[in-house]
Amino acid sequence: MSTNGTNGTTTTMPSSSAAPSQSSFAVKAGLAQMLKGGVIMDVVNAEQARIAEEAGACAVMALERVPADIRAQGGVARMSDPAMIQEIMRAVTIPVMAKARIGHIVECQILQSIGVDYIDESEVLTPADPVNHVDKNAFNTPFVCGCRNLGEALRRISEGAAMIRTKGEAGTGDVVEAVRHMQTVNAEIARASSASDNDLRMMARQLECDYALLKETARKGRLPVVNFAAGGIATPADAALMMQMGCDGVFVGSGIFKSGDAAKRAKAIVQATTHYKDPKVLAEVSIGLGEAMVGINCDKMGDEQKLAKRGW
Amino acid sequence: MQPDAATPANGPAQTPITIGVLALQGAFIEHITLLQRAAATVTSKHPGTPLSFIEVRTPSELASCTGLILPGGESTAISLIAERCGLLEPLREFVKVQRRPVWGTCAGLILLAESANKSKATGQELIGGLDVRVQRNYFGRQVESFEAGLRLKFLEGQEPFHSVFIRAPVVEKVLGVGGEGVEEGEGTVVAPARRAQKAEVEIMGRLPGRAKALRDQTTTAEDLGEDGDIVAVRQGNVFGAAFHPELTGDERIHAWWMEEVIKAAKAA
Repeated sequence: MSTNGTNGTTTTMPSSSAAPSQSSFAVKAGLAQMLKGGVIMDVVNAEQARIAEEAGACAVMALERVPADIRAQGGVARMSDPAMIQEIMRAVTIPVMAKARIGHIVECQILQSIGVDYIDESEVLTPADPVNHVDKNAFNTPFVCGCRNLGEALRRISEGAAMIRTKGEAGTGDVVEAVRHMQTVNAEIARASSASDNDLRMMARQLECDYALLKETARKGRLPVVNFAAGGIATPADAALMMQMGCDGVFVGSGIFKSGDAAKRAKAIVQATTHYKDPKVLAEVSIGLGEAMVGINCDKMGDEQKLAKRGW
Repeated sequence: MQPDAATPANGPAQTPITIGVLALQGAFIEHITLLQRAAATVTSKHPGTPLSFIEVRTPSELASCTGLILPGGESTAISLIAERCGLLEPLREFVKVQRRPVWGTCAGLILLAESANKSKATGQELIGGLDVRVQRNYFGRQVESFEAGLRLKFLEGQEPFHSVFIRAPVVEKVLGVGGEGVEEGEGTVVAPARRAQKAEVEIMGRLPGRAKALRDQTTTAEDLGEDGDIVAVRQGNVFGAAFHPELTGDERIHAWWMEEVIKAAKAA
Protein backbone atom coordinates (compact mmCIF):
# COMPACT_ATOMS: atom_id res chain seq x y z
CA MET A 1 0.00 0.00 0.00
CA SER A 2 1.50 3.24 -1.04
CA THR A 3 -0.05 6.64 -1.13
CA ASN A 4 0.41 8.53 -4.32
CA GLY A 5 1.08 12.23 -3.84
CA THR A 6 -0.39 12.86 -0.40
CA ASN A 7 -3.34 14.80 -1.57
CA GLY A 8 -5.76 16.71 0.61
CA THR A 9 -8.77 14.49 0.50
CA THR A 10 -8.29 11.50 -1.69
CA THR A 11 -5.85 9.55 -3.84
CA THR A 12 -4.77 6.23 -2.55
CA MET A 13 -2.90 3.71 -4.55
CA PRO A 14 -4.36 0.28 -3.91
CA SER A 15 -1.75 -2.44 -3.62
CA SER A 16 -1.60 -3.53 -7.21
CA SER A 17 1.21 -5.87 -8.09
CA ALA A 18 2.76 -4.28 -11.17
CA ALA A 19 -0.60 -3.49 -12.70
CA PRO A 20 -0.47 -3.33 -16.48
CA SER A 21 -2.65 -0.24 -16.24
CA GLN A 22 -1.09 2.86 -17.82
CA SER A 23 -3.40 5.25 -16.08
CA SER A 24 -2.19 5.89 -12.56
CA PHE A 25 -4.62 5.69 -9.71
CA ALA A 26 -4.20 9.46 -9.18
CA VAL A 27 -5.47 10.06 -12.71
CA LYS A 28 -8.42 7.69 -12.24
CA ALA A 29 -9.41 9.09 -8.85
CA GLY A 30 -8.71 12.61 -10.14
CA LEU A 31 -11.60 12.55 -12.61
CA ALA A 32 -13.94 11.60 -9.77
CA GLN A 33 -12.62 14.61 -7.84
CA MET A 34 -13.55 16.83 -10.78
CA LEU A 35 -17.13 15.48 -10.62
CA LYS A 36 -17.55 16.45 -6.96
CA GLY A 37 -20.39 18.73 -6.01
CA GLY A 38 -22.12 17.66 -9.20
CA VAL A 39 -24.99 15.52 -10.45
CA ILE A 40 -24.54 12.47 -12.71
CA MET A 41 -27.72 11.64 -14.60
CA ASP A 42 -28.96 8.40 -16.19
CA VAL A 43 -29.80 8.92 -19.86
CA VAL A 44 -31.05 6.46 -22.48
CA ASN A 45 -30.43 8.46 -25.67
CA ALA A 46 -28.63 11.48 -27.12
CA GLU A 47 -31.61 13.77 -26.63
CA GLN A 48 -31.78 13.02 -22.90
CA ALA A 49 -28.00 13.42 -22.69
CA ARG A 50 -28.27 16.92 -24.14
CA ILE A 51 -31.06 17.83 -21.72
CA ALA A 52 -28.84 16.60 -18.87
CA GLU A 53 -25.86 18.61 -20.13
CA GLU A 54 -27.99 21.74 -20.50
CA ALA A 55 -29.28 21.24 -16.97
CA GLY A 56 -25.70 21.34 -15.67
CA ALA A 57 -25.00 17.61 -15.13
CA CYS A 58 -21.27 17.02 -14.51
CA ALA A 59 -21.48 13.64 -16.30
CA VAL A 60 -24.07 11.25 -17.73
CA MET A 61 -24.57 7.51 -17.31
CA ALA A 62 -25.50 5.99 -20.66
CA LEU A 63 -27.80 2.97 -20.41
CA GLU A 64 -30.59 1.36 -22.42
CA ARG A 65 -33.13 1.17 -19.63
CA VAL A 66 -33.25 3.23 -16.45
CA PRO A 67 -33.45 1.14 -13.26
CA ALA A 68 -37.22 1.73 -12.87
CA ASP A 69 -37.79 0.04 -16.24
CA ILE A 70 -35.32 -2.76 -15.52
CA ARG A 71 -37.26 -3.38 -12.32
CA ALA A 72 -40.63 -3.30 -14.08
CA GLN A 73 -39.63 -5.42 -17.08
CA GLY A 74 -37.50 -8.00 -15.28
CA GLY A 75 -35.32 -10.46 -17.20
CA VAL A 76 -31.54 -10.28 -17.52
CA ALA A 77 -30.17 -6.73 -17.63
CA ARG A 78 -26.89 -6.41 -19.55
CA MET A 79 -24.41 -3.83 -20.81
CA SER A 80 -26.01 -1.41 -23.30
CA ASP A 81 -25.46 -1.48 -27.06
CA PRO A 82 -22.07 0.20 -27.71
CA ALA A 83 -23.59 2.14 -30.64
CA MET A 84 -26.07 3.78 -28.28
CA ILE A 85 -23.29 4.68 -25.82
CA GLN A 86 -21.13 6.07 -28.65
CA GLU A 87 -24.02 8.20 -29.90
CA ILE A 88 -24.28 9.74 -26.44
CA MET A 89 -20.50 10.27 -26.32
CA ARG A 90 -20.77 12.21 -29.57
CA ALA A 91 -23.74 14.23 -28.37
CA VAL A 92 -22.19 15.78 -25.24
CA THR A 93 -18.83 17.17 -24.11
CA ILE A 94 -19.16 16.10 -20.44
CA PRO A 95 -17.81 12.71 -19.27
CA VAL A 96 -19.87 9.66 -20.21
CA MET A 97 -20.13 6.64 -17.90
CA ALA A 98 -21.62 3.24 -18.70
CA LYS A 99 -22.59 0.17 -16.69
CA ALA A 100 -21.15 -3.33 -16.83
CA ARG A 101 -22.44 -6.39 -14.98
CA ILE A 102 -20.71 -7.33 -11.73
CA GLY A 103 -17.75 -9.56 -12.59
CA HIS A 104 -18.19 -9.29 -16.37
CA ILE A 105 -14.65 -8.47 -17.47
CA VAL A 106 -15.47 -8.63 -21.17
CA GLU A 107 -18.23 -6.03 -20.92
CA CYS A 108 -15.63 -3.86 -19.17
CA GLN A 109 -13.10 -4.49 -21.94
CA ILE A 110 -15.70 -3.44 -24.51
CA LEU A 111 -16.59 -0.27 -22.62
CA GLN A 112 -12.91 0.59 -22.27
CA SER A 113 -12.29 0.03 -25.96
CA ILE A 114 -15.07 2.42 -27.02
CA GLY A 115 -13.59 5.03 -24.68
CA VAL A 116 -16.18 5.62 -21.95
CA ASP A 117 -14.78 7.85 -19.21
CA TYR A 118 -15.93 5.75 -16.24
CA ILE A 119 -17.28 2.20 -15.87
CA ASP A 120 -19.95 1.50 -13.24
CA GLU A 121 -19.70 -2.15 -12.15
CA SER A 122 -23.32 -2.11 -11.18
CA GLU A 123 -25.78 -4.18 -9.17
CA VAL A 124 -28.54 -2.62 -11.29
CA LEU A 125 -27.55 -5.06 -14.03
CA THR A 126 -27.75 -8.83 -13.48
CA PRO A 127 -24.47 -10.10 -11.94
CA ALA A 128 -22.35 -12.21 -14.29
CA ASP A 129 -19.94 -13.74 -11.78
CA PRO A 130 -21.23 -15.46 -8.64
CA VAL A 131 -17.91 -15.08 -6.80
CA ASN A 132 -15.72 -12.23 -8.03
CA HIS A 133 -15.99 -8.58 -8.82
CA VAL A 134 -13.85 -7.31 -11.71
CA ASP A 135 -10.12 -6.75 -11.06
CA LYS A 136 -10.34 -3.06 -11.76
CA ASN A 137 -6.60 -2.42 -11.40
CA ALA A 138 -6.12 -4.17 -14.73
CA PHE A 139 -8.02 -1.44 -16.62
CA ASN A 140 -7.03 2.06 -17.77
CA THR A 141 -10.62 3.23 -17.54
CA PRO A 142 -11.55 4.12 -13.96
CA PHE A 143 -14.39 2.34 -12.12
CA VAL A 144 -17.14 3.39 -9.76
CA CYS A 145 -18.78 0.72 -7.56
CA GLY A 146 -21.69 0.61 -5.14
CA CYS A 147 -21.54 -0.14 -1.43
CA ARG A 148 -23.89 -0.67 1.52
CA ASN A 149 -21.22 -0.41 4.21
CA LEU A 150 -17.55 0.38 4.81
CA GLY A 151 -16.30 -3.19 4.30
CA GLU A 152 -17.89 -3.39 0.87
CA ALA A 153 -16.53 0.05 -0.09
CA LEU A 154 -12.96 -0.86 0.94
CA ARG A 155 -13.12 -4.24 -0.83
CA ARG A 156 -14.05 -2.44 -4.05
CA ILE A 157 -11.27 0.14 -3.56
CA SER A 158 -8.68 -2.61 -3.04
CA GLU A 159 -9.89 -4.17 -6.31
CA GLY A 160 -9.12 -0.80 -7.94
CA ALA A 161 -12.35 1.21 -7.79
CA ALA A 162 -11.43 4.92 -7.99
CA MET A 163 -14.86 6.15 -6.92
CA ILE A 164 -17.57 4.77 -4.63
CA ARG A 165 -21.32 5.36 -4.46
CA THR A 166 -24.01 4.15 -2.12
CA LYS A 167 -26.10 1.36 -3.61
CA GLY A 168 -29.35 2.73 -2.28
CA GLU A 169 -32.26 1.01 -3.98
CA ALA A 170 -32.23 1.96 -7.66
CA GLY A 171 -35.46 2.56 -9.55
CA THR A 172 -37.64 3.09 -6.48
CA GLY A 173 -37.60 6.85 -5.93
CA ASP A 174 -37.32 5.99 -2.22
CA VAL A 175 -34.21 7.53 -0.66
CA VAL A 176 -34.32 5.48 2.54
CA GLU A 177 -31.80 2.83 1.46
CA ALA A 178 -29.25 5.41 0.25
CA VAL A 179 -29.58 7.13 3.62
CA ARG A 180 -29.15 3.79 5.40
CA HIS A 181 -26.01 2.95 3.41
CA MET A 182 -24.43 6.37 3.93
CA GLN A 183 -25.28 6.27 7.65
CA THR A 184 -23.67 2.84 7.95
CA VAL A 185 -20.49 3.97 6.18
CA ASN A 186 -20.29 7.13 8.32
CA ALA A 187 -20.84 5.22 11.58
CA GLU A 188 -18.20 2.63 10.70
CA ILE A 189 -15.68 5.33 9.75
CA ALA A 190 -16.37 7.10 13.06
CA ARG A 191 -15.81 3.82 14.91
CA ALA A 192 -12.56 3.16 12.99
CA SER A 193 -11.31 6.70 13.68
CA SER A 194 -11.48 6.22 17.43
CA ALA A 195 -10.16 2.63 17.43
CA SER A 196 -6.72 1.51 18.62
CA ASP A 197 -4.45 -0.31 16.16
CA ASN A 198 -5.42 -3.65 17.68
CA ASP A 199 -9.11 -2.87 17.45
CA LEU A 200 -8.59 -1.72 13.89
CA ARG A 201 -7.05 -5.09 12.98
CA MET A 202 -10.04 -6.81 14.54
CA MET A 203 -12.36 -4.45 12.69
CA ALA A 204 -10.61 -5.18 9.37
CA ARG A 205 -11.29 -8.89 9.95
CA GLN A 206 -14.93 -8.26 10.82
CA LEU A 207 -15.48 -5.95 7.84
CA GLU A 208 -13.46 -8.32 5.62
CA CYS A 209 -11.33 -5.50 4.26
CA ASP A 210 -7.69 -4.52 3.90
CA TYR A 211 -6.14 -3.30 7.17
CA ALA A 212 -3.96 -0.59 5.56
CA LEU A 213 -6.93 0.84 3.66
CA LEU A 214 -9.04 0.82 6.82
CA LYS A 215 -6.28 2.60 8.71
CA GLU A 216 -6.00 5.24 6.01
CA THR A 217 -9.78 5.72 6.08
CA ALA A 218 -9.68 6.07 9.87
CA ARG A 219 -6.90 8.66 9.66
CA LYS A 220 -8.69 10.72 7.02
CA GLY A 221 -12.09 10.36 8.66
CA ARG A 222 -13.61 9.65 5.25
CA LEU A 223 -13.38 7.17 2.40
CA PRO A 224 -10.04 7.49 0.58
CA VAL A 225 -11.84 8.06 -2.74
CA VAL A 226 -14.74 10.25 -3.83
CA ASN A 227 -18.10 8.95 -2.56
CA PHE A 228 -21.39 9.79 -4.31
CA ALA A 229 -24.97 9.07 -3.30
CA ALA A 230 -27.04 6.82 -5.56
CA GLY A 231 -30.21 4.76 -5.54
CA GLY A 232 -33.61 6.36 -4.95
CA ILE A 233 -32.81 10.07 -5.22
CA ALA A 234 -35.86 11.75 -6.82
CA THR A 235 -36.07 15.35 -5.57
CA PRO A 236 -33.80 18.37 -4.96
CA ALA A 237 -34.38 17.83 -1.24
CA ASP A 238 -33.20 14.19 -1.53
CA ALA A 239 -29.99 15.37 -3.24
CA ALA A 240 -29.33 18.02 -0.57
CA LEU A 241 -30.07 15.47 2.18
CA MET A 242 -27.36 13.15 0.85
CA MET A 243 -24.93 16.08 0.50
CA GLN A 244 -25.58 17.13 4.10
CA MET A 245 -24.79 13.56 5.16
CA GLY A 246 -21.33 13.99 3.64
CA CYS A 247 -21.67 12.63 0.11
CA ASP A 248 -19.42 14.30 -2.50
CA GLY A 249 -22.13 14.43 -5.19
CA VAL A 250 -25.17 12.53 -6.42
CA PHE A 251 -26.28 10.11 -9.11
CA VAL A 252 -29.88 10.49 -10.22
CA GLY A 253 -31.17 7.55 -12.19
CA SER A 254 -34.85 7.12 -12.92
CA GLY A 255 -35.70 10.21 -10.85
CA ILE A 256 -35.28 12.70 -13.69
CA PHE A 257 -36.54 11.19 -16.92
CA LYS A 258 -39.37 9.30 -15.19
CA SER A 259 -40.79 12.56 -13.81
CA GLY A 260 -43.21 15.08 -15.32
CA ASP A 261 -40.86 17.93 -16.31
CA ALA A 262 -37.43 16.33 -16.71
CA ALA A 263 -35.47 19.45 -17.73
CA LYS A 264 -36.82 21.52 -14.87
CA ARG A 265 -36.28 18.79 -12.28
CA ALA A 266 -32.76 18.15 -13.56
CA LYS A 267 -31.84 21.83 -13.18
CA ALA A 268 -33.41 21.96 -9.74
CA ILE A 269 -31.41 18.95 -8.54
CA VAL A 270 -28.18 20.52 -9.88
CA GLN A 271 -28.90 23.78 -8.01
CA ALA A 272 -29.81 21.86 -4.85
CA THR A 273 -26.54 19.91 -4.94
CA THR A 274 -24.49 23.14 -5.11
CA HIS A 275 -26.56 25.03 -2.51
CA TYR A 276 -27.27 22.01 -0.30
CA LYS A 277 -26.74 24.02 2.89
CA ASP A 278 -29.05 26.91 1.91
CA PRO A 279 -32.73 26.13 2.72
CA LYS A 280 -33.85 29.31 0.95
CA VAL A 281 -32.41 28.18 -2.37
CA LEU A 282 -33.68 24.65 -1.73
CA ALA A 283 -37.21 26.00 -1.22
CA GLU A 284 -37.02 28.06 -4.41
CA VAL A 285 -35.86 25.20 -6.59
CA SER A 286 -38.41 22.77 -5.10
CA ILE A 287 -41.37 24.89 -6.23
CA GLY A 288 -43.57 23.70 -9.08
CA LEU A 289 -41.51 20.76 -10.31
CA GLY A 290 -44.57 18.82 -11.41
CA GLU A 291 -45.00 15.16 -10.86
CA ALA A 292 -42.11 13.20 -9.31
CA MET A 293 -41.44 9.64 -10.45
CA VAL A 294 -43.86 7.08 -9.12
CA GLY A 295 -42.27 5.61 -6.03
CA ILE A 296 -41.94 2.08 -4.73
CA ASN A 297 -41.75 1.85 -0.95
CA CYS A 298 -38.55 -0.01 -0.04
CA ASP A 299 -39.89 -1.20 3.32
CA LYS A 300 -42.76 -3.00 1.57
CA MET A 301 -40.36 -4.72 -0.77
CA GLY A 302 -39.23 -8.31 -0.39
CA ASP A 303 -35.49 -8.96 0.00
CA GLU A 304 -35.49 -10.88 -3.28
CA GLN A 305 -36.58 -7.71 -5.10
CA LYS A 306 -33.71 -5.60 -3.72
CA LEU A 307 -30.95 -4.87 -6.21
CA ALA A 308 -28.61 -3.77 -3.41
CA LYS A 309 -28.33 -7.41 -2.30
CA ARG A 310 -26.36 -8.12 -5.47
CA GLY A 311 -22.57 -8.05 -5.01
CA TRP A 312 -20.74 -8.66 -1.76
CA MET B 1 -17.12 41.60 7.23
CA GLN B 2 -16.29 45.23 8.18
CA PRO B 3 -14.18 46.91 6.94
CA ASP B 4 -14.47 45.68 3.39
CA ALA B 5 -11.47 43.44 2.68
CA ALA B 6 -11.53 44.46 -0.97
CA THR B 7 -10.81 48.09 -0.23
CA PRO B 8 -7.07 48.64 -0.03
CA ALA B 9 -6.04 49.87 3.39
CA ASN B 10 -4.62 53.36 3.61
CA GLY B 11 -0.94 53.43 4.39
CA PRO B 12 1.26 50.46 5.25
CA ALA B 13 -1.29 48.82 7.58
CA GLN B 14 -1.66 45.09 7.04
CA THR B 15 -4.20 44.36 4.36
CA PRO B 16 -6.31 41.35 5.22
CA ILE B 17 -6.28 38.92 2.31
CA THR B 18 -9.36 36.85 1.60
CA ILE B 19 -8.91 34.18 -1.04
CA GLY B 20 -12.13 32.74 -2.41
CA VAL B 21 -12.53 29.43 -4.21
CA LEU B 22 -15.55 29.23 -6.51
CA ALA B 23 -17.54 26.35 -4.97
CA LEU B 24 -20.30 25.70 -7.51
CA GLN B 25 -19.02 22.31 -8.66
CA GLY B 26 -15.66 20.52 -8.85
CA ALA B 27 -12.54 20.11 -6.74
CA PHE B 28 -12.83 23.27 -4.62
CA ILE B 29 -12.08 21.67 -1.24
CA GLU B 30 -8.75 20.43 -2.61
CA HIS B 31 -7.75 24.03 -3.41
CA ILE B 32 -8.69 25.23 0.06
CA THR B 33 -6.64 22.40 1.60
CA LEU B 34 -3.55 23.41 -0.39
CA LEU B 35 -4.09 27.13 0.30
CA GLN B 36 -4.15 26.33 4.01
CA ARG B 37 -0.96 24.35 3.67
CA ALA B 38 0.72 27.12 1.64
CA ALA B 39 -0.37 29.74 4.19
CA ALA B 40 2.54 28.83 6.50
CA THR B 41 5.13 29.67 3.81
CA VAL B 42 3.35 32.85 2.80
CA THR B 43 2.89 34.06 6.37
CA SER B 44 6.60 33.57 7.11
CA LYS B 45 7.41 35.97 4.24
CA HIS B 46 4.61 38.41 4.96
CA PRO B 47 4.18 38.36 8.71
CA GLY B 48 1.16 40.28 9.88
CA THR B 49 -0.86 39.78 6.71
CA PRO B 50 -3.98 37.94 7.84
CA LEU B 51 -5.04 35.26 5.36
CA SER B 52 -8.46 33.70 5.12
CA PHE B 53 -9.97 31.23 2.68
CA ILE B 54 -13.64 30.96 1.80
CA GLU B 55 -15.93 28.96 -0.48
CA VAL B 56 -17.76 31.26 -2.92
CA ARG B 57 -21.33 30.49 -3.98
CA THR B 58 -23.00 33.93 -3.94
CA PRO B 59 -22.28 37.46 -5.26
CA SER B 60 -21.83 38.76 -1.69
CA GLU B 61 -19.23 36.09 -0.91
CA LEU B 62 -17.45 37.02 -4.15
CA ALA B 63 -17.47 40.72 -3.23
CA SER B 64 -15.54 39.97 -0.03
CA CYS B 65 -12.62 38.33 -1.90
CA THR B 66 -9.22 39.87 -2.59
CA GLY B 67 -8.48 37.09 -5.08
CA LEU B 68 -10.34 34.12 -6.52
CA ILE B 69 -9.55 30.58 -7.67
CA LEU B 70 -11.73 28.85 -10.26
CA PRO B 71 -11.21 25.13 -9.60
CA GLY B 72 -11.19 22.10 -11.84
CA GLY B 73 -14.56 20.52 -12.52
CA GLU B 74 -16.86 20.45 -15.51
CA SER B 75 -16.68 23.86 -17.16
CA THR B 76 -20.17 23.53 -18.69
CA ALA B 77 -21.72 22.68 -15.32
CA ILE B 78 -19.85 25.48 -13.51
CA SER B 79 -20.83 28.05 -16.11
CA LEU B 80 -24.53 27.02 -16.14
CA ILE B 81 -24.74 27.04 -12.35
CA ALA B 82 -22.97 30.44 -12.20
CA GLU B 83 -25.46 31.85 -14.68
CA ARG B 84 -28.43 30.59 -12.63
CA CYS B 85 -27.02 31.88 -9.34
CA GLY B 86 -26.58 35.34 -10.86
CA LEU B 87 -22.81 34.99 -10.51
CA LEU B 88 -21.70 35.21 -14.13
CA GLU B 89 -21.83 39.01 -14.45
CA PRO B 90 -20.30 39.62 -10.99
CA LEU B 91 -17.50 37.21 -12.00
CA ARG B 92 -16.86 39.15 -15.23
CA GLU B 93 -16.87 42.36 -13.22
CA PHE B 94 -14.38 40.86 -10.73
CA VAL B 95 -12.00 39.59 -13.43
CA LYS B 96 -12.27 42.14 -16.22
CA VAL B 97 -13.34 45.42 -14.63
CA GLN B 98 -12.12 45.36 -11.03
CA ARG B 99 -9.17 43.29 -12.25
CA ARG B 100 -8.67 41.46 -9.00
CA PRO B 101 -6.27 38.48 -9.04
CA VAL B 102 -7.84 35.32 -10.43
CA TRP B 103 -6.43 31.85 -11.06
CA GLY B 104 -8.20 29.09 -12.97
CA THR B 105 -7.18 25.43 -13.16
CA CYS B 106 -8.41 23.19 -16.00
CA ALA B 107 -12.14 24.03 -16.18
CA GLY B 108 -11.20 27.35 -14.56
CA LEU B 109 -8.74 28.08 -17.38
CA ILE B 110 -11.49 27.38 -19.94
CA LEU B 111 -13.85 29.82 -18.18
CA LEU B 112 -11.14 32.51 -18.07
CA ALA B 113 -10.30 32.22 -21.78
CA GLU B 114 -11.74 34.76 -24.21
CA SER B 115 -12.38 31.91 -26.61
CA ALA B 116 -12.85 28.16 -26.35
CA ASN B 117 -13.58 25.53 -28.96
CA LYS B 118 -15.05 22.04 -28.84
CA SER B 119 -17.76 23.38 -26.58
CA LYS B 120 -21.17 21.72 -26.21
CA ALA B 121 -23.72 21.90 -29.01
CA THR B 122 -25.47 25.06 -27.78
CA GLY B 123 -22.25 26.78 -26.75
CA GLN B 124 -21.20 27.82 -23.29
CA GLU B 125 -20.83 31.07 -21.36
CA LEU B 126 -17.26 32.15 -20.63
CA ILE B 127 -16.04 34.72 -18.14
CA GLY B 128 -12.98 35.67 -20.17
CA GLY B 129 -9.97 37.69 -19.09
CA LEU B 130 -7.19 35.82 -20.90
CA ASP B 131 -6.71 36.69 -24.56
CA VAL B 132 -6.22 33.09 -25.60
CA ARG B 133 -8.18 30.38 -27.32
CA VAL B 134 -8.29 27.06 -25.48
CA GLN B 135 -9.19 23.70 -26.88
CA ARG B 136 -11.29 21.63 -24.51
CA ASN B 137 -10.38 17.96 -23.93
CA TYR B 138 -7.32 18.49 -26.13
CA PHE B 139 -5.66 15.21 -25.18
CA GLY B 140 -8.84 13.19 -25.56
CA ARG B 141 -11.10 11.34 -23.16
CA GLN B 142 -10.31 9.98 -19.70
CA VAL B 143 -8.11 7.07 -20.90
CA GLU B 144 -5.78 9.73 -22.35
CA SER B 145 -5.43 11.53 -19.01
CA PHE B 146 -1.91 11.45 -17.55
CA GLU B 147 0.65 12.76 -15.08
CA ALA B 148 3.77 14.71 -16.03
CA GLY B 149 6.62 16.67 -14.45
CA LEU B 150 6.71 20.36 -15.46
CA ARG B 151 9.57 22.84 -15.19
CA LEU B 152 7.98 26.11 -14.13
CA LYS B 153 10.43 29.01 -14.08
CA PHE B 154 8.41 31.08 -11.64
CA LEU B 155 8.73 28.48 -8.89
CA GLU B 156 11.61 28.35 -6.47
CA GLY B 157 13.66 25.19 -6.33
CA GLN B 158 14.77 22.78 -9.00
CA GLU B 159 12.18 20.10 -8.45
CA PRO B 160 9.88 19.71 -11.45
CA PHE B 161 6.25 20.30 -10.57
CA HIS B 162 4.42 16.99 -10.66
CA SER B 163 1.16 17.74 -12.44
CA VAL B 164 -2.00 15.83 -13.24
CA PHE B 165 -3.88 16.37 -16.53
CA ILE B 166 -7.49 15.13 -16.52
CA ARG B 167 -9.38 15.45 -19.83
CA ALA B 168 -7.32 18.62 -19.94
CA PRO B 169 -7.49 21.63 -22.26
CA VAL B 170 -4.49 23.45 -23.75
CA VAL B 171 -3.95 27.01 -24.88
CA GLU B 172 -3.89 26.48 -28.62
CA LYS B 173 -3.59 30.13 -29.63
CA VAL B 174 -2.52 33.40 -28.04
CA LEU B 175 -4.84 36.09 -29.39
CA GLY B 176 -4.04 39.76 -29.85
CA VAL B 177 -4.47 41.93 -26.75
CA GLY B 178 -8.13 42.80 -26.26
CA GLY B 179 -9.23 39.59 -27.91
CA GLU B 180 -8.07 40.65 -31.38
CA GLY B 181 -8.34 37.74 -33.74
CA VAL B 182 -11.23 36.12 -31.87
CA GLU B 183 -13.47 34.34 -34.28
CA GLU B 184 -16.70 32.66 -33.44
CA GLY B 185 -17.36 29.53 -35.42
CA GLU B 186 -18.89 26.12 -35.15
CA GLY B 187 -18.22 24.81 -31.65
CA THR B 188 -16.16 27.89 -30.75
CA VAL B 189 -17.48 30.28 -28.13
CA VAL B 190 -16.20 33.69 -27.06
CA ALA B 191 -16.56 35.73 -23.89
CA PRO B 192 -18.36 39.09 -24.05
CA ALA B 193 -16.00 42.08 -24.29
CA ARG B 194 -15.49 44.27 -21.24
CA ARG B 195 -12.64 46.68 -20.55
CA ALA B 196 -9.62 46.12 -22.79
CA GLN B 197 -6.65 44.43 -21.16
CA LYS B 198 -3.32 46.20 -21.58
CA ALA B 199 -1.00 43.46 -20.37
CA GLU B 200 0.45 40.93 -22.78
CA VAL B 201 -0.16 37.21 -22.49
CA GLU B 202 2.88 35.55 -20.88
CA ILE B 203 3.50 31.88 -21.41
CA MET B 204 4.21 30.47 -17.96
CA GLY B 205 4.50 26.76 -18.70
CA ARG B 206 4.77 24.28 -21.52
CA LEU B 207 4.47 20.53 -21.66
CA PRO B 208 7.72 19.48 -23.33
CA GLY B 209 7.21 15.78 -22.78
CA ARG B 210 3.74 15.71 -24.17
CA ALA B 211 4.32 12.93 -26.63
CA LYS B 212 6.11 10.97 -23.93
CA ALA B 213 3.25 11.45 -21.55
CA LEU B 214 0.81 10.04 -24.03
CA ARG B 215 0.73 6.50 -25.35
CA ASP B 216 3.70 6.96 -27.64
CA GLN B 217 6.53 6.39 -25.20
CA THR B 218 9.32 7.05 -27.68
CA THR B 219 9.21 10.65 -28.91
CA THR B 220 8.89 13.88 -27.01
CA ALA B 221 8.03 17.32 -28.26
CA GLU B 222 11.67 18.28 -27.64
CA ASP B 223 12.86 15.46 -29.90
CA LEU B 224 10.60 16.81 -32.59
CA GLY B 225 12.05 20.29 -32.13
CA GLU B 226 8.73 21.65 -30.88
CA ASP B 227 8.18 23.97 -27.96
CA GLY B 228 5.49 21.82 -26.46
CA ASP B 229 1.89 22.64 -25.69
CA ILE B 230 1.11 25.75 -23.66
CA VAL B 231 -0.31 24.65 -20.31
CA ALA B 232 0.07 27.79 -18.16
CA VAL B 233 -0.44 31.45 -19.06
CA ARG B 234 -0.73 34.80 -17.33
CA GLN B 235 -2.09 38.12 -18.50
CA GLY B 236 -2.13 40.93 -15.97
CA ASN B 237 -4.31 39.84 -13.05
CA VAL B 238 -5.36 36.53 -14.60
CA PHE B 239 -3.43 33.26 -14.33
CA GLY B 240 -4.52 29.97 -15.87
CA ALA B 241 -3.21 26.39 -15.73
CA ALA B 242 -4.46 23.44 -17.77
CA PHE B 243 -3.46 20.95 -15.07
CA HIS B 244 -4.45 20.30 -11.47
CA PRO B 245 -1.99 21.45 -8.79
CA GLU B 246 -4.87 20.80 -6.36
CA LEU B 247 -4.61 17.06 -7.00
CA THR B 248 -1.00 16.95 -5.80
CA GLY B 249 0.45 17.51 -2.36
CA ASP B 250 2.71 20.24 -3.77
CA GLU B 251 1.63 23.69 -2.57
CA ARG B 252 4.38 25.69 -4.37
CA ILE B 253 2.10 27.19 -7.02
CA HIS B 254 -0.48 28.12 -4.39
CA ALA B 255 2.22 29.84 -2.30
CA TRP B 256 3.58 31.68 -5.36
CA TRP B 257 0.14 32.83 -6.46
CA MET B 258 -0.84 34.01 -2.98
CA GLU B 259 2.29 36.15 -2.87
CA GLU B 260 1.26 37.65 -6.21
CA VAL B 261 -2.14 38.42 -4.68
CA ILE B 262 -0.49 40.11 -1.70
CA LYS B 263 1.78 42.14 -4.01
CA ALA B 264 -1.22 43.25 -6.05
CA ALA B 265 -3.19 44.16 -2.93
CA LYS B 266 -0.29 46.23 -1.59
CA ALA B 267 0.19 47.99 -4.91
CA ALA B 268 -3.49 48.89 -5.19
